[in-house]
Amino acid sequence: MAELATMARPYANAVFDVAKRDNDLGVWSKALAYLATAAGDDTVRTLLETPDMEAPVKAQKLIDVCGDALDDRTKRFVQVLAGNKRLPLIGEISEQFEALRAAEEQQIDVEVVSAMPLTDDQQSTLAAALKKKFEREVNMTHSVDTSLIGGAVIRAGDTVIDGSLSGKLKKLAENVLR
Amino acid sequence: MQQLNPSEISDIIKARIENLDVRSEAQNEGTIVGVSDGIVRIHGLADAQYGEMLEFDGGLYGMALNLERDSVGAVILGEYGDLSEGQTVRCTGRILEVPVGNELLGRVVDALGNPIDGKGPLNATQNSPVEKVAPGVISRQSVDQPVQLGLKAIDAMVPIGRGQRELIIGDRQIGKTAIAIDAIINQKDSGIRCIYVAIGQKMSTVANVVRTLEENGAMDNTIVVCASASDPAALQFIAPYSGCSMGEYFRDSGEDALIIYDDLTKQAWAYRQISLLLKRPPGREAYPGDVFYLHSRLLERAARVNAAYVESVSGVKGKTGSLTALPIIETQGGDVSAFVPTNVISITDGQIFLEAQRFNSGSRPAMSPGTSVSRVGGSAQTKFIKKISGGIKLALAQYRELAAFSQFASDLDDATRRQLEHGERVEELMKQKQYAPMSVAEMGTVLFAANEGYLEDVEVAKVLDFEEALLSYMKSEHGAFMDDVNASGDYNDEIVSTLKSAIETFKKTQTY
Repeated sequence: MAELATMARPYANAVFDVAKRDNDLGVWSKALAYLATAAGDDTVRTLLETPDMEAPVKAQKLIDVCGDALDDRTKRFVQVLAGNKRLPLIGEISEQFEALRAAEEQQIDVEVVSAMPLTDDQQSTLAAALKKKFEREVNMTHSVDTSLIGGAVIRAGDTVIDGSLSGKLKKLAENVLR
Repeated sequence: MQQLNPSEISDIIKARIENLDVRSEAQNEGTIVGVSDGIVRIHGLADAQYGEMLEFDGGLYGMALNLERDSVGAVILGEYGDLSEGQTVRCTGRILEVPVGNELLGRVVDALGNPIDGKGPLNATQNSPVEKVAPGVISRQSVDQPVQLGLKAIDAMVPIGRGQRELIIGDRQIGKTAIAIDAIINQKDSGIRCIYVAIGQKMSTVANVVRTLEENGAMDNTIVVCASASDPAALQFIAPYSGCSMGEYFRDSGEDALIIYDDLTKQAWAYRQISLLLKRPPGREAYPGDVFYLHSRLLERAARVNAAYVESVSGVKGKTGSLTALPIIETQGGDVSAFVPTNVISITDGQIFLEAQRFNSGSRPAMSPGTSVSRVGGSAQTKFIKKISGGIKLALAQYRELAAFSQFASDLDDATRRQLEHGERVEELMKQKQYAPMSVAEMGTVLFAANEGYLEDVEVAKVLDFEEALLSYMKSEHGAFMDDVNASGDYNDEIVSTLKSAIETFKKTQTY
């Protein structure tokens, strides 16, 4: 959500700066992902949104849920968030942190959905082509969706390359009905 | 029974299938996160440009208006009932365009240039962006040719030149549109192309206008752009720009065009609605801060351009082009100091101010001679009319002053009484029926008669009968002379003496 993103941005930037300075992007990334998953759980979310619980208590509960996955600094970060009543933002913060990290490390997440499973050969050819196009290291995830009929759809952030047969048919339909 | 659509002809379908571009290109995609009245907020679309066309599911298009850090605010150009949160939106990389060209003449189109008159596809070959920057100083030429509206009162007192922007302002139901329609009808043989942009009006009114134009043979020379009251606010907002682009096509190909925006008040309302839904801060009368720019950038595009500009744009050599704009503004209770009227008055090169009082007392067109002005039209006026109009203006001004004064005085001296009577007759002469435009010679003849005092012994109630009889006499007895005057527009001793003798003979021999 747009508004959430705006509120989460200063936190994500702050965490990223700290992580970069200490050179432990990986640790923070893992901790944030862990926190996001935990906070995304229905029971935990209900707990975090309960109005009749003080912020420090909420923070402590979340920290307890995560157990050993957090170190002292991440725990303090959770306390800060709780103090500002921004615990529900944790998922968004994690997402933005990952985006910043990907930009820093010259990486891009690419999702490839194809109508038929791709062979390893095809995957590596595609990865090489995408690497050239985006001028980044490509983290490719691949899934199969038979409703595409043929071809593939490649998604990288906002950019979409629709090379599927169903997409072309849709285009044709719109063109004829115009 | 199912209706057959003109686009369902096999050849057209075949052509569309063949022309389909099936290459897959990288596109920017986003997700709808909120839908309100005609406005959507979209997450993603990091590469969207201001004013870019966005494509929604189901062939619907929108226009990006708010580019924020995490979201894009867009207006939807069409029926937005089927949109919902979570649908994808794609960038098209194109700025909103409408079809332009001669093919549009005689047609009724919506704000996006789609035909809505059931006469089949447009077959227009050219498109033009809806928002364009007006020609600069170097490309312009001063206004020196007239646009004849065919209305005595206006052509004599507030002449309009080709490339001028003249505001028509007044309360509702007072004859603003009537002036515009008369202006279009009078252009059927003048070579000036007309564009009538109806914004926020009833469909029945627009249908009436189109029928009137057809009946008077002016529709073949006219494009009607219609964003009716039931169309989304986005279309009402965009319609004047679309119409302007269609007019600019004629301007840029060395022709003359006349565009009527009926009316810009409703466009400002539509824009206010869009702006408030986009959460832009409201200002005076809840209009956004850029409502002045909304109208100034539109009216600035109406211009007279020089031959060099025309050649550089369209390759047509040695011809100047012009787009004359007649924006219409509706006031509430004659209040011209409201926000939008003051804005548009200050942008335009003069205004035709219509008064409810005059309308109700039967003087139609109900133009107020005192407050109506034309800042540049004088230099474009036909010589003949220009010579005569001075006397008319003076007579009316004196009459207004004396009429107020004479209400208190019981006996007046002879000179004053004569001035009053003369003024009364000129006032009466300024009345004109709808859909009855007059040529320069006709107008000149009757105004000449008034100026030279030939109306003195005509009863006030008989003035219009006198006019009619005089004109039919001139047409039958001095047809060649009238044609000459129409062609040249000159004013010289020979013309004066011909007119004098003709009118004298008429008064002696004819009845009215």
